[in-house]
Amino acid sequence: MSFSTELRGYGKPLAESVLAILIGALIGAIVLWLSGYDAVAAYKALLEGAFLGGNFSETLSKSTPLILTAITFAIGARTGLFNIGAEGAVYFGAIAAVGVTQVLQNPLAGVLSGLLIGALWMLPAAVLKVYRGVHEVISTIMLNWIAFYIASWMALSVLANPNNPNSTLPIPPGARLPLLVQNSTLSMAFIIAVVASIVVYVIMWHTRLGYELRTSGQNPRAAEYGGINPKAAMVWSFLIGGMTAGLAGAVQIMGIPPSYSISQGLANVYGYGFDGIGVSLVGRNHPLGIIFAGILFGALNAGATQMQQTGVPLEMVKVIEGIIIVAVAVPGLLDLFVKPFRRGAQ
Amino acid sequence: MEEETPLLEMRNIVKVYSDGTKALKGVDIKVYKGEILGLLGENGAGKTTLMKILFGMLKPTKGTILLNGKEVRFKSPADALANGIGMVHQHFTLVEVFNALENIILRMEGHGLLSKIDVDNARKKLQKLMDDLNFQVPLDVPVENLPVGVQQRIEILKMLYRDVDILILDEPTAVLTPIEVKELFDVLKKLKSQGKTIIFISHKLNEVMEITDRVTVIRRGEVIGTVKTPEATPQLLARMMVGRDVVLRIEKPPKEPGEVILHVEDLWVKGDRGEEAVRGVSFDVRAGEIFGIAGVEGNGQSELIEAITGLRRVEKGKVKVNNVEITGKKPKELYEMGIAHIPEDRTHMGLILDMTVMENAILGMQWRKEFSRAGLMDWKSVERHTKHLIEEFDITAPGVRSPVKSLSGGNQQKLIVAREVSKKPELIIASQPTRGVDVASTEYIRNYLVRLRNENKAVLLVSADLDEVLQLSDRMAIMYEGQFMGVVKPDEVTEEQIGLMMGGVKA
Repeated sequence: MSFSTELRGYGKPLAESVLAILIGALIGAIVLWLSGYDAVAAYKALLEGAFLGGNFSETLSKSTPLILTAITFAIGARTGLFNIGAEGAVYFGAIAAVGVTQVLQNPLAGVLSGLLIGALWMLPAAVLKVYRGVHEVISTIMLNWIAFYIASWMALSVLANPNNPNSTLPIPPGARLPLLVQNSTLSMAFIIAVVASIVVYVIMWHTRLGYELRTSGQNPRAAEYGGINPKAAMVWSFLIGGMTAGLAGAVQIMGIPPSYSISQGLANVYGYGFDGIGVSLVGRNHPLGIIFAGILFGALNAGATQMQQTGVPLEMVKVIEGIIIVAVAVPGLLDLFVKPFRRGAQ
Repeated sequence: MEEETPLLEMRNIVKVYSDGTKALKGVDIKVYKGEILGLLGENGAGKTTLMKILFGMLKPTKGTILLNGKEVRFKSPADALANGIGMVHQHFTLVEVFNALENIILRMEGHGLLSKIDVDNARKKLQKLMDDLNFQVPLDVPVENLPVGVQQRIEILKMLYRDVDILILDEPTAVLTPIEVKELFDVLKKLKSQGKTIIFISHKLNEVMEITDRVTVIRRGEVIGTVKTPEATPQLLARMMVGRDVVLRIEKPPKEPGEVILHVEDLWVKGDRGEEAVRGVSFDVRAGEIFGIAGVEGNGQSELIEAITGLRRVEKGKVKVNNVEITGKKPKELYEMGIAHIPEDRTHMGLILDMTVMENAILGMQWRKEFSRAGLMDWKSVERHTKHLIEEFDITAPGVRSPVKSLSGGNQQKLIVAREVSKKPELIIASQPTRGVDVASTEYIRNYLVRLRNENKAVLLVSADLDEVLQLSDRMAIMYEGQFMGVVKPDEVTEEQIGLMMGGVKA
């Protein structure tokens, strides 16, 4: 497939996502204005906080775990699964990275441990789905809680930091991911996320496994007829998805200064699994689209701090994020806007 | 009897579907009070369409309906019900988790959204109804836990509870066991004795002979004739049902078949509901031969094909290809042994509608060296292959990267045929290969199957289109309730014989 023809197929989804973002921003402005805030000043602060000067590093850093968990959801969606188990895999990825690097003081060891534990943590959901028909929404949401408490317990016991009651042991200096920009939180983690997205893209669209996974997701009966085992495809989907989520947890701890450790109550790894669902939707469940959607959400999160200084509460950013996701989810929204213009032109 | 005013009359009913298909070409039927009228015809003859019009589910393109001599128009089934006409569909319309009582009183609970449901009264009324008819159904068990025969009674009760005078039954025995059929007939006789009028849609000759008073035979959207059942014979009805003009013949030179490619021996297969769908079928398909299986749909043909192609478990019996046992083998192994399969369900099995033409053109071949190596897809080679298929089979497609759903039904089917043929098989299993396909594509596909036969391939053809089987087959079997009623040569058999076998009478 030549790259240019491939790009043409992305035109419509891209336009749809951009439109959704604009609608989200517009409705967000109206909400701000109705609530008595200065919408222009708030947006200016938001944009400055996200893109101005060194702030862009913060945006990319904040986008990193979102990109990886969005990939988890996207792989599921492309293979007919609604896998919302990224959250639990993120916790374990973080725990594994902290634990393993205490022994093997090497960034690669940390990254690999995240990949491995993420895949392993998805196995129960995969087995339940394939052998007992348990719906993955039910199993993964329950497994998320199991993961939360096991990870919390491990953070407080085996990985507890004797010198700091508010966090776990830090990642040893030799195993930390190098920073890309000094005095920022932007590290190699972002590069890892982008590479992971590209790898997943290649798997899904340029390997036989990906072809078989997508076929199973779109039409399991046709897959079976085509000599594909749809159950095996599901297991693969869970495993690969678990890997990127586990990776998200690992790099989130290995690449974020200054603490390089898991905070009390898993606060610095909490919620990325769920936020990733929205990122995946805005990125049209496509690994490459997700990179950009992840950066957008990273920007909103990074800019929110500065916007807060204009008096707008932090939560308002979540409102805008929510509106964007809803706008993306409305099918045919673009047609609604484009068709009247087309008719007018004729 | 002919002089009295019919209770119901449908006059000159024409139905043209939006795609131009003429389902009914001016049908007249009369139904008299207190009779059981049989509506007999093959698949696609228009029986169900006619009854759906009567029940207000479809709007006729032309024609009038007279009830008691007065013209009526039904905009919805609710209108038909209000006029005392009820229908029991072939596929039940019960809420599976509701019990019988809840299903029967559904939509009759009262008027306001919050009005109180008078369950006790409903139960009393139903009990009386069941006592009068002398048949009982458990009212408090979720219907999903009840046998099909009982579910059907609930459907009938649902209609009677609404005080219908005319009851339409669409192929009511298709899902029943012989004992349940007998019980159903007892109920129908009872209803008749109470003055109800019944329209009984069927393709089964013996049932029509047994239960009806008169039979109207429909063929290809036209009424062929109406006879009083006592004056009819199965032979007469069979002739009326399948008699046909000779349509354009496919050029098929005589050919001496070669060695046995597919050997099926005493095959037993279960259906989705655990019933014995295929009951001891045996046959051979030889190289250079088209072996056709005809019969009304739902008589085990689908299950037979799924069992042979590795998509359904074989309960008992043997399937051999080139003398190698293949039962229990997976589809992938079968493709590698030289089997190709044109599945009956184009959109749910043959294609992945949202994926591209290219991606669909290699389904079941994706592991071949020309398309993927070391796990990586060679899309360039796939594209070449797809373009070659499009050219050779004259498929109209907007592009190889367009989703396959953007192709017309005929072109989608041609793509499947092209793909299966490109597997270079020795045995092609074609199931309903031209269903829902335009005339030009139909002709192309039929000729192609003959060409494969001429090239010494073995072809197993299953079709509900009797013409197709008659035209293409060198030998053919007629399947009825999971068994072959006979294996014959198309040019040595009369329409009457085939009609009898399709209706369940052994030749």
